[in-house]
Amino acid sequence: MTFDFSQVALIGISYLLLLFGIAYITERGWIPERITTHPVTYIFSLGIFASAWAFYGVVDLAFQFGYGALAYYLGTGALFLFAPVALAPLAELARRHQVHSLADLLVFRYHSNAVGALTTLCMLLGILPLMALQIQAIADTMHILVVSGSGNPSLTVADNGLTFKDVMALCYCAILALFTILFGSNRDQHRGLITAMAFESLLKVCAMFAVGMVSVFGVFHGIDGLNEWLADHPENLALLHTPIQDGSSHTLLLVFVATAVTMPHIFHLGLAENPLMRNSRTVTWAFPLFLLFMALPIFPILWAGSELAVPLDPQYFTLGVPILFNSPALTIFAFIGGLSAATGAMIIITLALATMVMNHWLLPSLRLAARNDLYRQLLWLRRILIAAIFFGGYLFYWVLNNRYSLTDLAFAAFIETLQFLPGTFAIVFWSPGNRRGMIAGLSVGTVIWFFGLLLPIITGMKVLHIPFSEFYIPVGNEYWNSITLFSLGLNTAIFIAVSLITEQSEEEHYSADLCAADELSHPVRQALDVHSAAEFKDRLAKPLGKVTASREVDHALKQLDLSNNERRPYALRRLRDQLEGNLSALMGIHVASEIMDSHLPYKVADVRETLDINLIENRLAQYQNHLTGMAAELNNLRLYHRKTLQELPMAVCSLGPDTEILMWNHAMAGLTHTPSEQVTGSYLEDIAEPWRTLLTDFSKSREMHYYRREIELEGHPHWISLHKATIEGPITEGVYDQVMMLEDVTETQLLEQELVHSERLASVGRLAAGVAHEIGNPITGIACLAQNLRYDSDNPEVLETAEQILSQTDRVTRIVQSLVGFSHTGHTAKSEFQAVILRDCAHEAISLLSLQKDKQQVQFINEIPKNAIVAGDTQRMIQVFINLLSNARDASPENGRVLLASNEDEYSIDITVTDEGSGIPPDIQDRILEPFFTTKEPGEGTGLGLAMVYSIVEDHGGLLDIVSPVDTQRNRGAQFIVKLPRHVDSLVDI
Amino acid sequence: MNHQRLIILLLLIAYLFSPSLFTWIISPNGVWYRPYIFWMGLVLVTFIFQWRRKKPQNLE
Repeated sequence: MTFDFSQVALIGISYLLLLFGIAYITERGWIPERITTHPVTYIFSLGIFASAWAFYGVVDLAFQFGYGALAYYLGTGALFLFAPVALAPLAELARRHQVHSLADLLVFRYHSNAVGALTTLCMLLGILPLMALQIQAIADTMHILVVSGSGNPSLTVADNGLTFKDVMALCYCAILALFTILFGSNRDQHRGLITAMAFESLLKVCAMFAVGMVSVFGVFHGIDGLNEWLADHPENLALLHTPIQDGSSHTLLLVFVATAVTMPHIFHLGLAENPLMRNSRTVTWAFPLFLLFMALPIFPILWAGSELAVPLDPQYFTLGVPILFNSPALTIFAFIGGLSAATGAMIIITLALATMVMNHWLLPSLRLAARNDLYRQLLWLRRILIAAIFFGGYLFYWVLNNRYSLTDLAFAAFIETLQFLPGTFAIVFWSPGNRRGMIAGLSVGTVIWFFGLLLPIITGMKVLHIPFSEFYIPVGNEYWNSITLFSLGLNTAIFIAVSLITEQSEEEHYSADLCAADELSHPVRQALDVHSAAEFKDRLAKPLGKVTASREVDHALKQLDLSNNERRPYALRRLRDQLEGNLSALMGIHVASEIMDSHLPYKVADVRETLDINLIENRLAQYQNHLTGMAAELNNLRLYHRKTLQELPMAVCSLGPDTEILMWNHAMAGLTHTPSEQVTGSYLEDIAEPWRTLLTDFSKSREMHYYRREIELEGHPHWISLHKATIEGPITEGVYDQVMMLEDVTETQLLEQELVHSERLASVGRLAAGVAHEIGNPITGIACLAQNLRYDSDNPEVLETAEQILSQTDRVTRIVQSLVGFSHTGHTAKSEFQAVILRDCAHEAISLLSLQKDKQQVQFINEIPKNAIVAGDTQRMIQVFINLLSNARDASPENGRVLLASNEDEYSIDITVTDEGSGIPPDIQDRILEPFFTTKEPGEGTGLGLAMVYSIVEDHGGLLDIVSPVDTQRNRGAQFIVKLPRHVDSLVDI
Repeated sequence: MNHQRLIILLLLIAYLFSPSLFTWIISPNGVWYRPYIFWMGLVLVTFIFQWRRKKPQNLE
């Protein structure tokens, strides 16, 4: 079996091409979505947890610790077994606040950029050994494969300088860095990366399992053979148990439990990148099952290695066994499995660390030139960081020069990441923990780890001299157990002590409450001084540049399904939160919140401490499947009450203290023709007229009831009664919300008017019937006499007088007839109405009135346009004008002016008759339309004029309104407004 | 969500007692793969437990 260098290089590069090819075709959508979004893909992508150390080093761990090695899998497996409790709260926080790394999460919880910077530093230091481990594994296995050509795989130990395998590893790292930069630095290519990582995991678990199968069935010829071999070599079984007794496995378990949360690559894929919650049910059993398959072959491989006397460290038995078994295919498969494990871990570690360094070191201190393309700058920054981290990892590997086993390096990395455990645990489960405690604890833990493990690894020192004393402390990998317990113990103790002694800041307290799992947070409604989405773009243009700002705002609007001209405060608050989330994904939580706080700050609300009901509703709606027990019951109760209010057949709305609309039920939506989604979260001042004026007045008024307020809807009058009550705010005493009920009483009002009118008509009718009969005879007499007069005289004056008398008696007859007509409802069917030119009617009325020389003379000004045409009866219209004008004349001073004018809209024409008289006193305004009500001297007026006008107008489907005084300054004048429906046909003609 | 604290406490106790449990599981009298059988059993129990809960626990 021979492999030369070019073959190994070809295998490596082919594998990388395959891996990134998968990422590429996933992004292009060539792999069906049901595969890329399947939970199995997600579970496998989490498998990057098993890095090269899990592929190779864990066999060495089994050699050293026996069953203790299983702690590596069991610790993480246990955490995932309890994922709904242990990981779900963190994943939910990460999802809700768009957190992408542990550092981001810690910054969010402890509200301090120092925490982020320190976390990044510690993470970088801690991850260097893990990166070096992967590179060392790649370099060693490449080397083993090349030298195995001689039939005797071996590993040269610690060479000085740059050896051939170092160069191979460097080349591989460079190519890997290039691929990562090309495919991984763009924030939009996550799906591809996840699928590629899933493929990577599938490959390595298959490879590991294949080597395990070959070990059992090839080397030992089956399970029975293995058992026989174990019986013959009892020292191997004893090796499984011995190390357990010394308690180190206990510490191992502790170390590995933490890795699932604190290791940057696992956090990146497990909590930040992947929708863990979507698969939380599957992951609880599927990931431990995956780990079981990874762990199962460990001991058979170890024993097969011993049986075959593989001339390598146990850490490379996974590769050594297939080589000695003389199976080139399996050897290549095992090699690719290891390569794949190392590659996957390196890619994700680098991406996660690059994000951390950028978000917590560079962006807070760098000022990006906002005018240029921000995305481009960030992309290049990220690319440079990825390259730098690969280079740093390689440098560390080269400095170490193969002096340490993979296990030593893994321990160094894992023990440092363990230091994040207290701070991470406190995110969800211990809200009193604060940033000072976190910084102090983490610093002390890291310093102990640095001097106890990292420094000895770099320098090779065995003891640490305590300055100014004679003490020497033994350090180095042999003491990993004590160093772990000591650093973590002191870290936790200091974290707790400092947190208890020092105080949390207000913001930190708020974040801690938000993160606390058992805290049902009550989001306080804050006010924004931005009033439109466009204003967001303007404000953000300064820090982000115009193009970026516009793109980000549009993107966020699209995510929230809001329109560009959104003005509702609630929607704008959601937009702001979405933008902050998106920006924090782009630039880290610290920079994002700084930008938002300085350019789109929440202003100190006028009314503080108001619950954001809309947000709570929204959140509960999202969570409702998640609630159990009492909470679920309460939620059902809430939903029931909400439905009751929503379906109430009365229009109801509720308002916050700042008149933000919190609820708008279905009946309200029906009454106002405004859907709830359109107004919920708006200020009352932003809704459409006439509701704005009505509701705003009522909300401000001290009165608790408004009865029959008249408003106009689509050209028709409506009468609304309003009632309101105050609700005391749930968290602050003395702050009141309002609940309003609206009642449409239009029908009642119309019925009442109809009733009153009927009564009037009845009285007019009764009178008219009597009067008509009584007047008819004398009028006929007068008409006869006038006709006689006409025949008897030739005097033109007399003839004219006779003509006038005849004309007047004719009028009287008609009027009397129409009076009789009033008493019969439906006297003139509307279908018989004809087009009536109002100007002509008015003109005729004026000419008639001007004949009454005995009355005071006034000037009638007819400004009614010719095209003011209504549907009606001309004679009765003239009657209306005669009555109105004679009243106006009687009320006017000598030579006063009476103005006739008109206004028109789509549906109707308003005719106004305005005089300059003394006006109508308010106390009799309600009564002047009653029949027989008159203010004139006895004998002067009958009190029927206006009643008749009202009656005629009503018959025409119109309205009569009175305004007095017209001249409010001089308190004089009265105006009668007659509103009549237009004549539709003439409208078309015009 | 107060039960979470209880579960955390349970986990801590489980961690403290894990050596005794471990010693029992890996007792030299049994076959070498006994821990794996125990592990498989645990995975099965979790699977059945999750399978029987009908409502999806989705947040989205």
